[in-house]
Formats: sequence, C-alpha cells, structure tokens
Amino acid sequence: MSLDADILIIGSGAGGATTATVLAEAGLDVLIVEEGAWVEQGSVVPFSLDQMDQQYRSGGVTVALGMPSIAYTEGRCAGGGTEVNSGLYWRPPGELLERWRHDFRIADFDPDDLLSIADEVETAINVRTVPGPHSAPSEVLRSGAAALGWQHSEVPRWMTYPHGDDATKGERQSMTRTYLPRAMKAGARLVTGRRIDRLVIDGGRATEAIASLPDGSTERITFRHVFVCGGAIQSPALLQRSGVKGHIGRTLAVHPTVKLAARFADELNVPDDVPVHQVKEFAPHLSFGGSASNPGLVALSLLDQWPTFRRAVTDWPRMSVYYAAITSQGRGRVMSVPRMKDPIVTYRLTHADRELLRSGLARLALLMLEAGAEEVFPSFRGAPSVKNRRDVATMQHAFSATKATVMTVHLCSTVPMGEVAERCGADSFGRVHGYRNIHVNDASLLPTAPGVNPQASVMAFAIRNARHFVATGGSRA
Amino acid sequence: MRQVPALPIVGSFAERLLVDDLPDLQPAQRREVVAFIAHRVDSLPSFTRFGVLAIGTVFRMLVAVPGGWLGAKLLMKLPLPFVGEYPRLMRSLGFAYVWEHWPTTTPTGALA
Ligand SMILES: Cc1cc2nc3c(=O)[nH]c(=O)nc-3n(C[C@H](O)[C@H](O)[C@H](O)COP(=O)(O)OP(=O)(O)OC[C@H]3O[C@@H](n4cnc5c(N)ncnc54)[C@H](O)[C@@H]3O)c2cc1C
Repeated sequence: MSLDADILIIGSGAGGATTATVLAEAGLDVLIVEEGAWVEQGSVVPFSLDQMDQQYRSGGVTVALGMPSIAYTEGRCAGGGTEVNSGLYWRPPGELLERWRHDFRIADFDPDDLLSIADEVETAINVRTVPGPHSAPSEVLRSGAAALGWQHSEVPRWMTYPHGDDATKGERQSMTRTYLPRAMKAGARLVTGRRIDRLVIDGGRATEAIASLPDGSTERITFRHVFVCGGAIQSPALLQRSGVKGHIGRTLAVHPTVKLAARFADELNVPDDVPVHQVKEFAPHLSFGGSASNPGLVALSLLDQWPTFRRAVTDWPRMSVYYAAITSQGRGRVMSVPRMKDPIVTYRLTHADRELLRSGLARLALLMLEAGAEEVFPSFRGAPSVKNRRDVATMQHAFSATKATVMTVHLCSTVPMGEVAERCGADSFGRVHGYRNIHVNDASLLPTAPGVNPQASVMAFAIRNARHFVATGGSRA
Repeated sequence: MRQVPALPIVGSFAERLLVDDLPDLQPAQRREVVAFIAHRVDSLPSFTRFGVLAIGTVFRMLVAVPGGWLGAKLLMKLPLPFVGEYPRLMRSLGFAYVWEHWPTTTPTGALA
C-alpha cells in the first residue's frame, strides 16, 4: 500500500498536533502518521499499569543508561505525551528565551512573539487554575513551603472541570481534545498504528517514508515536506536510521528527579492525580512538586530500602510521593544501532548535578517535615527514614545519586535549533541543517532543558516554526 | 526477527525474589505477577531487553544450582554497573503490580 501527501507529519504529540493544525488551516494537504493508538480519555485509569500498556512506549519501562541510569517515559498514542502527562503549564521564562536566542543564534526570533503565541495556546487548551480547593497532597507542598518562607505557587493546567470544582476531576485538554480535532476539521488526515521506520533520502531531499504496520507489512508514503515530531528520543533516532548527518542526538537534556514518600497523620492519598503546587524557591536549578501516588507507586518509592521501609506500605492512604527535579548540566545521547529497532539512550550526570540532587532531596524532606509529615522515606538504597531535622542531615550525608532511583519525564534538545553549526542540528525554524525538506518540530528543538515543565515551550516553538513555513511557502525545498 | 520469550529466562529469578521479599504472597498471585514481569520485559526497547536477558541468564543459572540463591544475593549487592538494576527492575514491576491489583497487601505479601 502507499500513501501520498503534500506534508507528512510523523508523530501527533505536542509538536506534531500543533504543526498539523497550522499547516492544515493554511490549506496544505497534511497527513499525520502516529505509531500509537487513539485512546479515548477516561477509557484508562490515569497512572495505572493499564495506561502504561496502552499509551506509553514499552509499557513505560525505558531507561537512559548511565551511573546511575535514568528511567524515562514517553507517550506513544495519538496525542503523544500530552495524553498521559500531568498537564502542568509553564510558559518558557523570558530570560531563558533570550539566552537561547543569543547562545544558539536563533535568527528572526523575538521572545515576545513566542510569548504571544503562548497566549493563544493558553486559550486553545484552556489553561487555568483549579476552581475549588486543592487536593491534600498539593496542600502539603503549599503549607510546607509557606512555613519555610519558600516561593511556591499553584501551577495552572490545561483542564476543564465539567463535573464541578473538585480539583481531582478535571479533564485534560490534551491534543486529542484540542489541536488534533482542529487539524482534522481543516482537512488533515491522521493514521494511527504505523511506525515510520526510515526516510529515503536522495541528494539532500527526503523523497519517501517507509512505515511498518503491526502485522509486519510495510507502507510507502511520498510527500513534498516531512516534519519529524516523534519526541526528543524518537526524532533523532529516526533521522539517524535514515542516514541524516549532523548534530543529531548528541545533547539530550533532561530534568532528573529524585523522590521520596511522606507519611502523614491523616489520609491524603489521591491515587489518580498529581498535586498542582510547585516550589520554585531554588529555581531554575531545583524545583519541588508532587507525583502520582497510587498504591503501586507508593510501594515503588519504598522498594530501594524495602527491608526497613516495607512496614510503611500498608499506610499508603496516608502517604504521597514527591520529587525534587534539577536542571541538569549533564547531557545524554541517542544512538541508533543498525538492525536494532530502538535506539540506545545514555545520560551522564555531572558532579554538580549529583550534589544538587543530594541537597534537593534534603530540602524536600525538610519541607515535608514542615508540612507535618510523621515520617519521610527517601528513594535510595541505604536511605534512613526521616522524622526530624537531625535525620535530614543524616539522610543528606548518606545520599548518593548512584544509589538513587533517578527518573525523568522531560526530554529535550536532541536536535537543537539555531545557526551555530557545531551545536545545532536544525536551523532557526527547525529545518535540519543540510537537508532541504526535512524539518523537526518537537521537544528535540529546545536548545536546553527549560527548567520548567516543557510542553508549552514545545507547542509555542512548533506553532512559530509552522507559521514561518507557511509564510515562506516551504520555499527552500 | 523473532524474539526469545522472556519468561523462561527471568521467571525463576523473579519468582525467587518475590518469595524472599513477599513470602506470604499466594502461589497463584505470584505466578500472575511473574507472568506480568515477563510480559513487560518482552516489551522493553530492543537494546535494554537484550541487556536484561543477558544479565537474567546469569541470575537464572545461579538460581538453578543448589545454594545458588546465596550467590545471586551476593551478586545483587556488588556495585557492578547495571547488574544491580536487574533485581531492581524485577522488584519494581512486581511491586507495582501487587499493590495496584491488591492494594491491601501487607508488607509480607499477605492479603489483608
Ligand atoms: C508522564 C509525563 C508527565 C509529564 N508532565 C508534564 C507536565 O505536567 N507539563 C509539561 O509541560 N510537560 C509534561 N511532560 C512532558 C510533555 O508531555 C512533553 O514535553 C511533550 O509531550 C513533548 O512533545 P513532543 O511533540 O516532542 O513529543 P510527544 O508528545 O511525546 O509526541 C511524540 C509522538 O510521536 C510518536 N512517534 C514517535 N516516533 C514515531 C515514528 N517513528 N512513527 C510514528 N510515530 C512516532 C509517538 O508515538 C508520540 O505519540 C510530561 C511527560 C510525561 C511522559
């Protein structure tokens, strides 16, 4: 079988869905190819193993190898990461945009223009704070930070609350609810369950894409332009598999996190939602927030020190899991290996990263105590439990990143955009350097990890670049 | 390319680990958990799966010989790159499954 389109978009997440909308609404013939399935929101329990099976790549068990290895997750479904994520919205900070513009020489880039695109995004996906009281795990972050005099705030989310003002009953305005229907209304076609294995490239131009279907058959797709929007791991991997040369996959940037579980006197656990407060006193280097905390995830947070922490597992209704996230100076790599379907991903934390994780976990434990935690269970091998300030110091001393469970859900910067040849895989609008009709338009383009939840940055840049493409008629192809 | 199924390689070790960590888990539950762990290993990205099965083969061989479990426990404690991550992976998949499916499970694996 074969398909044809003017514009092929690979991936339907934050980058792909917005790109498709801009191009389809401009009248272009757009085909979106998505590897995962269309899963209706509400048909799976958020943060459950069933959701992991249906909406995450490899059941959510993916890892960047290193010392320590860092567990990461990627959405794999129509809407990509936007379907499974926490929905916490942060605009890219203005001074960061300025730094990116300067350091990566992003041409024709006015941070104010990007922020006005962020305004549009906020309307389109209904970014708002919760209408009613915050959940108890969120209150923990707020009250602990307030007691310490640390800067904190409620982070708005892309949510609607059709069932009243219960903070935990919002409906995520993900891409399947917002941009994808818009793109399809404007004529874009979406096909799911097809993985693009590689692009066929001839003389600096991609001519077709080879897709594989679950039954093992293949399909050829011809196009005039291709936008690779598979996310910061899959996009560079696909480009490498296709023989694209350049600065691709060499500078993976993430926000590594370490976790702890805290037990309180009263029940507070919310199994299927996350807290909306974040603590930004030490930002952009260090941020604190709350994680999903269903009983399985509470058990996971205790397992590094199971012999002594196991006693707490039945207390999960009185427990919630929290994280300290850092803006890492380390970098990782995405490497495709011939005949292997998936890339090898590595990540190296620097000494400074490790120290930041150490102090981050200690400060987070302190915050928990201030919020009234009876006992805190840090997630690293050999961790002591923490009941008072003295224990915080002991815990901080005992911590080592190599013994910790380090995770991330924010993956960026594998095809950085800009005009600095030795640092950038794509030009100032996402076109891959040295190739006439191959564009990247997803989290891979962000020059560094932004230090805040990245989806808003991904969407705003994707819209900017797609508009530029329309305005210039894709003239360089 | 056809994959080697994970269950024969990771099954016996995962089972032994669960017996150790959660001694009161019912055998039928344990079988269900082990099947889940193997299913997840089957869907790992290719390179990770290859590494997990390679390390898993060593642990499987240890578990198969008399007294080998002690050797396996020793190996788990050594600060060898990636080797320690194998039991961690088995445990995390297993615990996530146990407490998601039977949230009142006690610390020893009994159903409350
Ligand atoms: C659990 C979790 C929680 C998060 N929480 C937040 C949050 O609260 N706030 C925030 O701002 N950000 C959050 N993020 C991050 C955010 O979701 C991502 O930054 C964003 O989705 C990245 O967009 P993207 O377009 O680069 O990739 P994605 O949204 O991941 O989309 C990529 C899509 O491409 C598809 N694909 C990949 N390769 C191929 C191929 N070869 N062929 C066909 N299709 C392919 C994938 O299946 C996927 O659907 C979270 C992420 C996760 C996983």
